[in-house]
Amino acid sequence: MRSELIEPPVQLRELTYAEAAREALAQAMEADERVFLFGEDVGVYGGAFGVSGDLVHRFGKDRVIDTPISELGIAGAAVGAAITGMRPVLEIQFSDFVTLAMEQLVNQAAKIHFMFGGKASVPMVVRLPGGSGTGAAAQHSQSLEAWFAHVPGLKVLQPSTPHDAKGMLLAAIDDPNPVLIFEHKLLYKTKGHVPEEAYRVPIGQAAIRREGTDITIVGSSIMALKAQAAAARLAEEGISAEVIDLRSIRPIDFTTIAESVRKTHRLMVVYEGVKTMGIGAEISAMIAESEVFDFLDAPIIRLGGADAPIPYNPVLEKAAVPQEDDIVAAAQNLIRRGEA
Amino acid sequence: MPVEVILPKVDMDMESGTIEAWHVKEGDHVRQGDTIFEIGTNKAVMEVEAPATGAIRRIRTETGVAITVGTPVAWIYLEGEASDTPVADSSPARESAPAPNSAAPADALPARSVSSTAPASAGLRATPLARRIARLNGLDLMTIKGSGPRGRISESDVSSALTLRDAAKNAAADTSVVKVPLPRGEMAAQGTLKPFSAIRRIVASRLSESMRTAPHFYLTSEIEMGAARDLLRRLSTRHERLSLPKPSLTVLIARIVAGVLRDHPLINASAEGEATRLHERIDIGIAMEREGDLVVPVLRNAGGMDMLTMTSEFARLREGVAKRSLTPAELGGGSFTISNLGMYGVDSFTAIINPPQSAILAIGRTVDKPVGRDGQIVLRPMASFTLSSDHRIVDGVTAARFMADLREALEYPEVLL
Repeated sequence: MRSELIEPPVQLRELTYAEAAREALAQAMEADERVFLFGEDVGVYGGAFGVSGDLVHRFGKDRVIDTPISELGIAGAAVGAAITGMRPVLEIQFSDFVTLAMEQLVNQAAKIHFMFGGKASVPMVVRLPGGSGTGAAAQHSQSLEAWFAHVPGLKVLQPSTPHDAKGMLLAAIDDPNPVLIFEHKLLYKTKGHVPEEAYRVPIGQAAIRREGTDITIVGSSIMALKAQAAAARLAEEGISAEVIDLRSIRPIDFTTIAESVRKTHRLMVVYEGVKTMGIGAEISAMIAESEVFDFLDAPIIRLGGADAPIPYNPVLEKAAVPQEDDIVAAAQNLIRRGEA
Repeated sequence: MPVEVILPKVDMDMESGTIEAWHVKEGDHVRQGDTIFEIGTNKAVMEVEAPATGAIRRIRTETGVAITVGTPVAWIYLEGEASDTPVADSSPARESAPAPNSAAPADALPARSVSSTAPASAGLRATPLARRIARLNGLDLMTIKGSGPRGRISESDVSSALTLRDAAKNAAADTSVVKVPLPRGEMAAQGTLKPFSAIRRIVASRLSESMRTAPHFYLTSEIEMGAARDLLRRLSTRHERLSLPKPSLTVLIARIVAGVLRDHPLINASAEGEATRLHERIDIGIAMEREGDLVVPVLRNAGGMDMLTMTSEFARLREGVAKRSLTPAELGGGSFTISNLGMYGVDSFTAIINPPQSAILAIGRTVDKPVGRDGQIVLRPMASFTLSSDHRIVDGVTAARFMADLREALEYPEVLL
């Protein structure tokens, strides 16, 4: 019997998603004095979801700024700061409030670089806590990433793990384009391994979280986690699901999805945003019009949010968005009966 | 669906006959029992009756030409059928093996003989992948039954049809069994004439082909089974403790063979034209019988199974054979086959290779026999193992080496660890 050298276990450094985002902000601000953070309650209060935490004490009120309650105003301020050489990171307290900032984000931030013939760019980052599951009801629970994925000139990200929360935020701050990051509220307390150094997760790159052969399940944000849990259950009954975490909504990593579907012949897209006209619709169409069409052996299935404002009642709130059980059932049906 | 009129076998040794004269012409209405043509054998000329009532069409008009017995020479279109109603195709793509005896063809769905590049007819549902695979393999989607919703054909349906087509490639052309009325006059055949069922036809043609094309040679080893029996006993105890089905000797042998085959790729190979296909996986077919028919379900990836898995999988396959619930994919495509007739008291036998595999192992019964050990005559449980090999792929020494390793593995199973 050969003796083997057993390495002592590596100490995994676990941070919560919120802590990971905070670390990204701190490291970015330490490295680059142009980076600053602002939004409602990000300073003294530490952020509505605790992301900014003690940053105001570490970097001062000039770099961690509490703003008035005016999304249009602060979005405009971010655009202005970005064009004049700063690297602002704006926090919109609930993603639902972004409606008030649409003019600045869609008509200004997204278009300035193009309309000025490249003479100006808008290197701003907007972080938006979104999603349902906290009983915050219709105006505080939406998933609006699809709206912005529809706007040329913007980038839209949805990290699902603490590791990605830090890496993608740092990549976003580096990016000379306006980048929106939709962080799911229920993810803030989730824990995961986060390396200490300042690393970047490339924008526009999906992650294969689980390899499989029978069906490709594409999910974003918290749905990527539900899809992985569903895949583990499906494996017990002999269904091998490949799970892709989108991470980047605009641009979408189409190549990774296409290669996967080519292999598995079945596609399911799971997202929390309203199903109709959502990111699942886009991905389904991208596959259907590509050369991977010839490799489909079943209809493409979308699981998305219900066509209704998110309810307040907790049972109805859960029923309004895809859950792990729904993913399992849909995959079983698709494979056994050829339809959802 | 139109009824076939075949050239009947009216004589015991008849392989072909000639149509001497037609009594009807294209489109005539015939009644069941009417004489429609005269058949000539080397002994006599006889009249053949119509097997059904309807319009007789697509008459094969050549007279005096030798036609193989069983070949369709006309079709009778029943009332209401248009002249372009599709007729039964010679490929049994619609039926899934094992098919019930003779009842199947009447229910077999018609196939249009269109080229595989023709556009799908309106209403045909097939997934893009199914269409692609059908197109690449020259399969007509119209001949495939879809198992998906609203009859949608998916990749698994096409794959099954492909497996079937390849399995039946050498099957006789005629798959429908129409009751052939005895010709008038002499020659009432004695006994009962039992036409081949679909399975029998397939088995007959495959094994005939195997004997015809593969030069078989046989190696026999008498192997001492004491260790294997002990191992089986211990395994049975273990399985019982785990409330699992107990392994049979056949399963244990299959497991051991799978282990030995790892080092003998040519014995786990298949003939493909003028080449040898070396298989990556070891898939062992186990010959079984159901109602007088030979069925060979496959233990897929036997090389990667432990005894627990293999025992339950074997039990599942056996149940599937009995219930006729196995899919064509589970019944074909093995890389090696074993056949155990020991339980019937057969001492030894030579098996016919399951084409296109390169070898097959025949196992006889275990019997206490006197053998010489250390200068003494002692009784040991001995069983006869005969390997039939295809000499195109396997030479004597190759086969002998496999048998030597098989003996060692059966007599000392620990060598496989």
